[in-house]
Amino acid sequence: MNKLVVVITTPPFSNLSVTAINYIETALKLGVELVGVFFYQDGVLHANANAYIASDEFQAIEQWQKLKQKYDLALHLCITAAEKRGMTAESKNSIDELFIVSGLGELVELTSKTERMVQF
Amino acid sequence: MAETIENSLAIINSKAPYSNTAGKDALDIALIFGSFEQAISLFFQGDGVWQLIPAQDGASIFVNDYLKTFAAFEFYDIEGVYVCQKSLQDRNLNEDFHIKGVQLLKQTDFAKKLAEHPHILRF
Amino acid sequence: MTTLHIIRQSAYTTTDFEQCIQSLCMNDIIVFIDDGCYNLQHNLISTIDNSKKIQLNVMKKHALARGIIIDESIINPIEMTALVALTFSNDRVITWQ
Repeated sequence: MNKLVVVITTPPFSNLSVTAINYIETALKLGVELVGVFFYQDGVLHANANAYIASDEFQAIEQWQKLKQKYDLALHLCITAAEKRGMTAESKNSIDELFIVSGLGELVELTSKTERMVQF
Repeated sequence: MAETIENSLAIINSKAPYSNTAGKDALDIALIFGSFEQAISLFFQGDGVWQLIPAQDGASIFVNDYLKTFAAFEFYDIEGVYVCQKSLQDRNLNEDFHIKGVQLLKQTDFAKKLAEHPHILRF
Repeated sequence: MTTLHIIRQSAYTTTDFEQCIQSLCMNDIIVFIDDGCYNLQHNLISTIDNSKKIQLNVMKKHALARGIIIDESIINPIEMTALVALTFSNDRVITWQ
């Protein structure tokens, strides 16, 4: 089976995240084994539980939720990058519970398990 | 055909060092891979080559001087440090860097060296 | 051994596409997505070395959304399923963004 890791470095409030999520959903539908998604740089903002996006705009977090319900997704977050952006694992309601608090060591782990790595 | 180094990661540095965190973010990945003894190479292309030029003083503009850490690449077993010759020429830069062991590659060799890595991230 | 190059930025804004062209090897594949679709209008496309036999693709939906006309004699319009397939039919992926 084809193994894939996706590294997301772009923020959720741009149209770029629509593409990233569409790519991941398509891969999952095609039976690709998604070893994990790693959020880094502004990508960590995907996990910001306090973001409010107007209801007529693309809701990235809802899409992650839907995908996670359907497939068993591991959404890893670089905590150092998140803390820099005002998010913390220390208090509740900061990082959405869909996401796993990780560090760059996890990226090493994911790299060792995958055939392909794609950055979005 | 060049052989692929199993599971190795290449990072392309494409941004100048101070006005954004791309260089530092890439460096953090490189050091982690190095400390886990995972093969990693660094490529400098486009404005990324500004990260390598000598006589910089980021501290004077309140940038934590992460470029100094480049001197520790050897310690972290980061062996492949490659710079695109054309990117230097385009910026009227000499082959003069603040660290040792930088390999200068012509365009075609840069592309080939990059293609030896199965995983590539770009910052 | 080929590389899939995903271009996400307009060459009118950044030098990403130019750097991608400099990094092409024989038989590599290019896919323009997101703002990368604007490069269909850019002269850089014609500077790609023909002898390298680079296959050019564009995410059809992304180009049409932007009002970009696809000249199918040069560029192959694809869907997202094809991008996923290309991820695995090539040996590595570089995203230029």
